Amino acid sequence: MRRSLLAATAAAAVLAAGAAQADEIRIGVLYPIAGTGAVYGEPAMHGHNMAVDELNAAGGILGKKIVSFARDTKLKPAAASAAAKELITKDGVDVLVGGLSSAVGLAISEVARQEGVVYVATIPKTIKLTTEKRHDHVFRTASHTDFEGDAMAQIVAQLGLKKICDIQLDYAYGHDLAAGIEKGLKRHAPDAEKVLDLRVKLGATDYNAFISQIMGAGCDGVTSGLWGSHFVNFAQQGSPFGLFQQIKYISGGEIASHEIAGKMKGDYPDNVWSNTYELWYHHHDPSHVAFQEALAARSGTGETAMWPVLAYIGVKFIAAAAEKAGSMDADALSGALKGMSISTPVGQRTIDPETHQADTGQFWGPMVRKEGADYRVMDPVTYIPAVIEE
Amino acid sequence: MDSIIQFVQQDLGNPGLAALLSNPSFAFIQLMNSFSQAMNLFIIAAGLSLIFGVLRVINFAHGAFYMFGAYIVYSVAQEWTGNFWLGVAAAGLGLAVMAVIIERGLFQYIYDKEHLMQLLLTFAVVLILSDVAKIIWGTDQYSVSYPAGMKGAVDLGVTFYPTYRLFLIVVGPAIAIGLWLFTERTRFGRLTRAATQDREMLSALGVNVPIIYTGVFILGSVLAGIGGGLAAPFNSPTPGMDATIIVDCFVIVIVGGLGSIWGSFIGAIIYGLVFNYGSVIVPNWQDVFPFLILLAVLLVRPWGLFGKPEGGNA
Repeated sequence: MRRSLLAATAAAAVLAAGAAQADEIRIGVLYPIAGTGAVYGEPAMHGHNMAVDELNAAGGILGKKIVSFARDTKLKPAAASAAAKELITKDGVDVLVGGLSSAVGLAISEVARQEGVVYVATIPKTIKLTTEKRHDHVFRTASHTDFEGDAMAQIVAQLGLKKICDIQLDYAYGHDLAAGIEKGLKRHAPDAEKVLDLRVKLGATDYNAFISQIMGAGCDGVTSGLWGSHFVNFAQQGSPFGLFQQIKYISGGEIASHEIAGKMKGDYPDNVWSNTYELWYHHHDPSHVAFQEALAARSGTGETAMWPVLAYIGVKFIAAAAEKAGSMDADALSGALKGMSISTPVGQRTIDPETHQADTGQFWGPMVRKEGADYRVMDPVTYIPAVIEE
Repeated sequence: MDSIIQFVQQDLGNPGLAALLSNPSFAFIQLMNSFSQAMNLFIIAAGLSLIFGVLRVINFAHGAFYMFGAYIVYSVAQEWTGNFWLGVAAAGLGLAVMAVIIERGLFQYIYDKEHLMQLLLTFAVVLILSDVAKIIWGTDQYSVSYPAGMKGAVDLGVTFYPTYRLFLIVVGPAIAIGLWLFTERTRFGRLTRAATQDREMLSALGVNVPIIYTGVFILGSVLAGIGGGLAAPFNSPTPGMDATIIVDCFVIVIVGGLGSIWGSFIGAIIYGLVFNYGSVIVPNWQDVFPFLILLAVLLVRPWGLFGKPEGGNA
């Protein structure tokens, strides 16, 4: 009796889920929500929810309400892959969005390929996602390591640096960024010489052994992709050695974002050139003002983080593609995303129909002290578009 | 010498080793780096080792205590007072309070239980504390400034070296000697040593053993808190920092011998040397090296360099 009741309830639940699915759009969201990665996942969720709320207020997608199913990727490819599968099979999501860390992005993409579900990668930057690992259902709205490396090489050329030390994290992102920088240097600064290659493990806390190697190598520039707390620790350990007085530090990994500069305040070192997708104080596109105000209201601070805009753009792309395709069918969605162009708070974005890669450029510049600000700001801000000139 | 350097550079293709051989001040800096890293790790590992030596509990939450120490320094030194040393004192005090609550509330019930139970309980504490830290401090990565007067570097004749790191190199041995004097020369220290030998006999002699246990647990935890506090200026307080440190500490106390202060001291120095020279000479193997020492010690001397074999009358 009890068992049959249970079975009946389960059947009813499945039916209800099926019924619900008919009049709602289900988006599977994959960010690190707890643990180390939450520092990025939490703000990313703000941006995601903001986009979903805006769309729902305007009638949803194809007249249906959008419902998000968020799962924690724990910054681990295995966890992300399991979560993505569960979202598809258990929650019956129509599309996957998110991903943080290049390794996680590749893992989700693999599930999307096997299950034939569209995945929009909003944060992972490894070039492989849109080259050798590309498939019909994966699209990227983030930048990638070749764009990033090329922009860094342009800065190396501008500053006239001749001897480069490269220090990277020892995983997909670090390796691919190093390759991107190398290609970029050949284009923009062919006479710059790479004198030192260092690889640091992900999550490393002690950088002294590497700092003294850089200082002894006689380089005038350091290229790097140490992000988040990796950079904070590297800078805190390098400053007393006078590292940042000796070299120019050109960094990917968005350490120019407000969340790093605002936290390090006076400890943020000199001579850093870096990138960010968005700056709360820089209005590149007129629509950015409204976006930033809405985000500020949602985050409870006027000085908003960089990550929300990435998650926000991902959802907006899905919505635009679904409206164009007239359905949430994976193949129709994939077809619509190819060549799709939308305007975002940081400018127009177009997905290349061949590579599935959006032309997402970034803001680059030196991090300087400024009158009236109690932390460093980027000035001047230069938008380096996602164009690689061969 | 020059021909050796040339051989290393060109035939072995090892620029790191060549740099060490050709540049004495670089080799010296790596030595200093080894010691300063080792001394910070020693302070934390000594606490873990001390607690195990007396309570026979492997406290997985020790890393979380370290993380709390770092966070407390951030709040007190960076947010409220601007005084780093006040922050470190607060970290020690805060951990003492946490230790009393955790030892009296939880750990005292598991001393007689099997290791698996102890492991599960301390691991549960890890998970709880990491969530508590997230509720209090959120998920941001923070930055703590060096204390006033220790932001720069000191001229050692051969080379400049960061003042704060030199301070760590001095403070580590001072703590080691303090701990040694405490266990060897004080009445409480003698009682703790007795408790490691035979706690039933000690209790029969009228000594209040639970108080000794609580005292040792406080001392060990305060060391973790101070270690975390002292690390905060170069290790950004951030979620997950507990997991990294606990692995390093386990390597050190196992190499040195569980329960031995000098064992942790030497274990930490070995760790520092291997990490700092290893990452120059064989950079691709930097993750593996600590575990290779661990493996070597476990094979040759499973009770550690300064430990005593289990199962005797100990």
